[in-house]
Amino acid sequence: MKEVLRFEDVSMHYHTKQGETVAVEHMNFSVGEGEFVAIIGPSGCGKTTVLSLAAGLLKPSAGKVKTDGCSFGYMLQKDELFPWRTIEKNILLPLEIKKTNTPDNRARALSLAEKYGLKQFLKNYPAALSGGMRQRAALIRTLAVDPDVLLLDEPFSALDYQTRLSVCDDVYRIIRTEKKTALLITHDISEAISVADRIFVLSKRPASVVATHSLEFGEAEPLKRRENKAFSGWFELLWRELNA
Amino acid sequence: MKNELYSAEHLKYLRSVKKKNIFINVARFAILALLLLIWELSARFEWVNPFITSSPSRIGKTIAELYKNGTLALHVGTTLWETVLGFFIAVAVGYTVALVLWWSEITRKISEPYLVVLNALPKIALGPLIIIWCGTGSEAIVFMTILIGLIVAILNMLNGFMATDENKLLLLQSMGASKWQMLTKLVIPSSLPNFISMLKINVGMAWIGSIMGEYIVSKAGIGYLIVYGGQVFKLDLVMSAVFILCVLAGVMYALVALLEKIVIKNR
Repeated sequence: MKEVLRFEDVSMHYHTKQGETVAVEHMNFSVGEGEFVAIIGPSGCGKTTVLSLAAGLLKPSAGKVKTDGCSFGYMLQKDELFPWRTIEKNILLPLEIKKTNTPDNRARALSLAEKYGLKQFLKNYPAALSGGMRQRAALIRTLAVDPDVLLLDEPFSALDYQTRLSVCDDVYRIIRTEKKTALLITHDISEAISVADRIFVLSKRPASVVATHSLEFGEAEPLKRRENKAFSGWFELLWRELNA
Repeated sequence: MKNELYSAEHLKYLRSVKKKNIFINVARFAILALLLLIWELSARFEWVNPFITSSPSRIGKTIAELYKNGTLALHVGTTLWETVLGFFIAVAVGYTVALVLWWSEITRKISEPYLVVLNALPKIALGPLIIIWCGTGSEAIVFMTILIGLIVAILNMLNGFMATDENKLLLLQSMGASKWQMLTKLVIPSSLPNFISMLKINVGMAWIGSIMGEYIVSKAGIGYLIVYGGQVFKLDLVMSAVFILCVLAGVMYALVALLEKIVIKNR
C-alpha cells in the first residue's frame, strides 16, 4: 500500500507569554492510501494539532511530516457554510480560492452534489437545510477540489445523537465510494470503531501514539458495525487504554 | 403555504398578530396627534407663554414664511449637503482605515492608544482650531462632521472585522487562501451587518457634526437658524428648525434601514 502521510518523530511546542506548551512529542505513524484512520485521545490532548500538522497549517518544532505531494481537504466540527452564499456557491468556494474555477471542475463538483442528493438544495441558502444536510454539503465542498486525503476534525460532534449516527453513515459511504483516504480525530470511541480501518490511541498531553489497532470489519458500514459482536470488545479495550 | 391550509386556531393567531400591529401604529400616531393638540391648545389659550413654547401652528406659519421668502431651500440645502458629504467621507475613510488596521496587527496595536484618546476627546473642543484651519465656510462644518463620525466608524468597523469567525478563517486557511481572499471572501461579507449598524450610528453622528459645526461658525443652515433664532428670541424659528431637523434625520435613517432590508434579505 502506498503511503500518503507519515509522521516521523514529530514534536510540536506552542509558545505564549505564559510559557511553553508541549502539545505533541515524538509522534510516529503513517497512513496508507485509501485507508480510513481514526485517532482517539483524551480531550485536550492535542488532537487538532495533529490534523493541523498533517494539513501543513502548522510547522512541527522537530521531526518531519511527509505528505508525498498529496493534497488535503479539511472538514471541521461545524459545517462552516457561509450563510450569504447559496449551497452551490459554498461548494464552489474552494475552487475559487484555488483559482481552479474552470467549467470542467465546476461540473465535477456539482455532479458530486447531484450524486449525493444535494441537487434540489443548490440554489438554497444554508439556513434552509437541516444539520445533517448542511454537514453533507460541507463534505461535498471539501471534495470539490478532489483532495487525496480528508482530514476530519470531529465532524459529527456538533450534531444531535440521532443525526450524528446517520450523518456518520452518510459521510462514511461517500468517502468509501469516492475512494478517499481519511484521517478522523474524535473523542468518541464508538464513532472511531464504527468507521475506521485502523485506530491510533493518543496519550494525554504531550500527545504521542500509545497503541495502534487494526479493525477487521472490512467495508461494513457504521450502523452495521455497531451491531457486530466484536464492537463491544473493541470498545472495552479502547476505553481501558484511554483511561490508562 | 396557502391560507386555506391553516387551522382555525392558526388563523385566529394571525388575526391577533395583525391586530396588535395595527394597534401599535394607531397608538404611535395618536400620541403624536395628542401631544400636538395639547401643545397647540395650551399655546392658544395661553396656559403657557406661546412666545417661549411656540406652537404647531406657529411652526407651520414660520416654515411657510421661510419657504415664501426663498430661504428655506438655502438653509435646508446647506445643512443637508454638509451632513451628507461629511457622512460619506467619514464612512469611506473610516472603513478603509479599519481595513488597514485589520490587515496589520502591528499597525493596530501601535494606533490603539491614539484611537482611544481621539474617541474620548470631545471634538467640539477643536472648534477654534477648525475655524483657523478651514476658514468660516462650509469646509469647517464638513470637517467637524467628518471628525465626529470618523473615529466611531473606524472603531465599529474594526470590531466587525475582528469578530470574523475563527473557524471560518481556519477553513479558508486550509484551502490555501491568501489574506486578500480571506478579506474579500469572508471578512467583508460577514461584517456586512456591522457595516449597516455603523451607517445607522453615523447618520446620527453626521447630524451632530453638522449642527455643532454650524453653531460654531456659519452663515446659513439649520444650525444657523437655531442659533440665530435663540439670539433674537424668535423661538418659533428655533422650533421650526428643530422640526425640520427631525424630519431630515428620520428620512436619512429610513434610507439606511431600506438599504439594510435590501442587502440583508438573503441571510
